[in-house]
Amino acid sequence: MNDREIDELLNGAKLPEGPRAETLDRIAGSIAGSVRPVRPPPPRWMLSGGVALICVTVALAGSAGLGFFGIAKMTSLERLFVFSALGILVLAAAGEMVSAMVPGSRRRFSSGALLAIAGLGFGAVLALCFRDCQTTRFIHAGLVCLAVGLLHAISAGLLGWLVLRRGFAVDAVSAGLAAGTFAGLAGVAMLELHCANFQAAHVLVWHLGVLLVSAGLGALCGWRAANSAARRIDSKRRQSHG
Amino acid sequence: MDPQQNLEGLMALYQQGDLGAATTLIHSISPKLYRFFAAQAISRVEADDLLQETWLRIHNVRHTYRPGEPVIAWFYAIARHVRVDHYRKAMRTTGREREMEESAATAEAPNAGRTDELDALLAPLSSGEREVLEMLKVEGLSLEEVARATSSTVGSVKQKVHRAYKKLRHAFASRKTKTEAPR
Repeated sequence: MNDREIDELLNGAKLPEGPRAETLDRIAGSIAGSVRPVRPPPPRWMLSGGVALICVTVALAGSAGLGFFGIAKMTSLERLFVFSALGILVLAAAGEMVSAMVPGSRRRFSSGALLAIAGLGFGAVLALCFRDCQTTRFIHAGLVCLAVGLLHAISAGLLGWLVLRRGFAVDAVSAGLAAGTFAGLAGVAMLELHCANFQAAHVLVWHLGVLLVSAGLGALCGWRAANSAARRIDSKRRQSHG
Repeated sequence: MDPQQNLEGLMALYQQGDLGAATTLIHSISPKLYRFFAAQAISRVEADDLLQETWLRIHNVRHTYRPGEPVIAWFYAIARHVRVDHYRKAMRTTGREREMEESAATAEAPNAGRTDELDALLAPLSSGEREVLEMLKVEGLSLEEVARATSSTVGSVKQKVHRAYKKLRHAFASRKTKTEAPR
């Protein structure tokens, strides 16, 4: 059997019946009292731009407070590689975060692929730029960077959510993962501007760690949000039936 | 005006608060959404409930539709979300989601008017492949619309369709061999 014959079978298959007329009337009646004008969302580029701007602002504000030691110590080539890679990844993550919050949006890649691209892509750039193999004060310095990076990531995530709060995530875990990746990139950007520790192990483990932990936290928040929303709907339904 | 543009126009009017447009949309989209739910092994009452839940959700988030974007994909994305919620609820209440998914593919329970013909045809497929194939071949959505509705990429949809066709070809070939064997 070839594909055309399968197509013919599928096209010729008897379709299930439609809903009853009274069901449709009941649905129309249930929303009739609350049909009011609503404002559609702004264009995608505007939302993505706004979200990306948040990332830049959080990273710059954080580094302004703690000092631009990292970017000051980098060579021009390192600056070019690190910040152009971050810029591309932030724009991609912002776009995917916006897509995840608008139902029926076009996705360029899944949230998991976004995290993989960000982690591996930026990891490769860091490995290329920073070749110092020492591991001085690896744990202590690393934990400080992880905490500071996550603090900024959480701020960026919350501000991003504020911009996109009118959206609706059809897949909350995927939206959380995209948002966590975006927020993580804001934390990493802040660390690259601020942290002057260029030991390869430090940047690869702790700076990239911010991205991974933030993405994980985002997915966890999405999962919790999906569960609590489902419970809310359940109890509302029970109340209306009861 | 082609039907797609007509639906987009109606959705824009619905967003502006036009009750007539909302009612027309309910009557023109609901049969598709109902079939989408009916494709799972659920009762007619459950399919009605899910349809009603979908419209409540659509009504609450109608501001998220961006005029000019494919409206069908937007509707299906929300319907799919409601269906996933339905599974989650079933998992919470029974703790047997896997059994439900399996039964969704194979059960012969009383259903919402599904046809045995379509069921038998798509039986060898996983729920994801079945969903994509139904949207694409039975409901007539484009690859782009299916990708948008399932929050995935066009490439991933194509891959699922390719896998589904491969499974169907294999299933039909083995069925043919079995029927010819006794002779």
